[in-house]
Amino acid sequence: MPDRINQLQQLIKDANNLHINSEWLAHAGVIEYFPEELVITIKAGTKISNIQTELAKHNQMLPFFIKTADMSIGAAYAQGAQDLSDCVLGVKIIDGTGAYLNFGGQVMKNVSGYDVARLLSGSKGKLAVITQISFKVMPISYMTQLSAPIKRATTSQLHQHIEQKLKQVFDPRGIFN
Amino acid sequence: MKVIQRLLTQLPQGIVLTGKENTRPFECDGLSVYRQKPLAVVLTENIAQIKQVLKICKDNNTPVVTRGAGTGLAGGAMPLKNSVVLGLSKLNQVKSIDVKNRLAVVDPGVRNIAISEAVTQHGLYYAPDPSSQIACTIGGNVAENSGGVHCLKYGLTVHNVEAIKMLTIDGEELILSRQDDGLGLLALMNGSEGLLGIIIEITVKLTPTPILARVVMAGFDSVRECANVVADIIKAGIIPAGLEMMDSFAMEAAEGFAQVGYPLDAKALLLCELDGTQTQVQAELDSVLKILSDASTVKVSESEEERLNFWKGRKSAFPAVGRLSPDYYCMDGTIPRRHLADMLEKINELSQKYQLRVANVFHAGDGNLHPLILYDANIEGELEKVEEFGTEILKLSVDMGGTITGEHGVGVEKLNAMCHQFNAKELAIFHKIKAVFDPKSLLNPGKAVPELHRCAELGAMHVHHGKLPHPELERF
Repeated sequence: MPDRINQLQQLIKDANNLHINSEWLAHAGVIEYFPEELVITIKAGTKISNIQTELAKHNQMLPFFIKTADMSIGAAYAQGAQDLSDCVLGVKIIDGTGAYLNFGGQVMKNVSGYDVARLLSGSKGKLAVITQISFKVMPISYMTQLSAPIKRATTSQLHQHIEQKLKQVFDPRGIFN
Repeated sequence: MKVIQRLLTQLPQGIVLTGKENTRPFECDGLSVYRQKPLAVVLTENIAQIKQVLKICKDNNTPVVTRGAGTGLAGGAMPLKNSVVLGLSKLNQVKSIDVKNRLAVVDPGVRNIAISEAVTQHGLYYAPDPSSQIACTIGGNVAENSGGVHCLKYGLTVHNVEAIKMLTIDGEELILSRQDDGLGLLALMNGSEGLLGIIIEITVKLTPTPILARVVMAGFDSVRECANVVADIIKAGIIPAGLEMMDSFAMEAAEGFAQVGYPLDAKALLLCELDGTQTQVQAELDSVLKILSDASTVKVSESEEERLNFWKGRKSAFPAVGRLSPDYYCMDGTIPRRHLADMLEKINELSQKYQLRVANVFHAGDGNLHPLILYDANIEGELEKVEEFGTEILKLSVDMGGTITGEHGVGVEKLNAMCHQFNAKELAIFHKIKAVFDPKSLLNPGKAVPELHRCAELGAMHVHHGKLPHPELERF
């Protein structure tokens, strides 16, 4: 895995304009799964259906609404949704300078530093390359019917200004488009 | 001072406190070992006054430290030198309750428990319950992303906040909602420790009060057995409403304080709360009792009174330990649950090494540890010894794949430990995020995120992909 990370870092350093998707990322698979911890750590290019298969072996599931299990978990994270974000425990990312960074972790409670792992959920692939994500999972028996979360576009200028400034923090060269 | 003059002339009489005697009650928060008097304390009564304070402080380049009830345990609300403390505790109204959608809109100074009290008639409550819930404010809870004993099932503050209204340092209002399409700005504000903005209104989610809740209390002959049972319960597919552990020392202290009837001959105590409908609770109880077959004692609460009594000891564990020692230092590391027993053994070794007693109280369900290190601040050098001991525990937490703080925050207390958890590039990102919101660094500056030179001087920069300390530890 570190090899692919190194490659990705180099690709990002050399790039001027990148559109991230799971084919480009070419980084898939479950990294760690501890059913008794209710935590799974996955490479971002992993197909959701593959994660579901793995979790179902232990009667567990991703406790958020999934529109299609055919997409990668990284894509779902990039689109963002309140219920998905709730389950995010940590991420590893490569920012626009090629730096490989870790935010959050594999534990339920973590208030050290700003919550970058949840901040970047919904970033549409425009702030950084997400390489792996840790999620809280739940026993299937505890989950009720999940419904599609409501999303509203934000119209406040201040809000949009802050989002633009945050993009510059993670992608100072403006290469992720 | 010009800033004091302006505060006194432009704000109503009586809400601006200045001078040594008047500001003394605000010189620290719940972490009383660190103290600092501010220039002034303003106990604001409305949003217009908050905006005025921000403007005056900004004009004068004066740092602003926002404060709720001051119950934080990491120095997050401790005043800074030459700062103005912006008190929000007088903004304490529950503004509206939406029973159908299970939401309440509240002022930042509303106490955590007051929300539940206001909605109990509708069969609802506000789920996150930090131990300080009778005093701590919801604004402070959001700023710290507070936890409590029911997080495993019901989530942290971040999971129970639907929207907030905040003020930027420029006094501009910004509304952030869970429904926003785009970056997770609401999540970012949760746990931002007063460094990014002033939270002036919160819409909280409300949870239906469970029909029934029962607590299983179990004693064990060893801490390891108790820790293993925690894993077994989760492995069996049960999510208890609360899952708490105490070692014998903490249990004895709590028993002496609250006379609960804890099994004092046990080495570790487990409290496991199950809630839901009668059928759900019974089914879970049957499974849990099976898992607990090797426990030395098992008792199930038979009434609501008894259930609350079982919790009373746990919830008063901190003050109970406080009676045994002039001072205690509370840690807040979180580790993956499977390392619980190893961690306790390490803490025991360190306790011997430093010759300081430790009482262990754990939110075992989510791996959040609260070792309380007993010491006497009046003995010269003892505080330094405790800090060193504490830092060792936090480093262990990080090395086991966990974190230095699960729910108390970094504040001023854990700045050094932050250098162990994050590398220079990650810390630089944090500083840049702050600069997006607060370019002149006037909101609680210097807290929560250490300056890079501080970490360099410590020589403790986190080793990311190279060799880690404690190589004998099993890791992810």
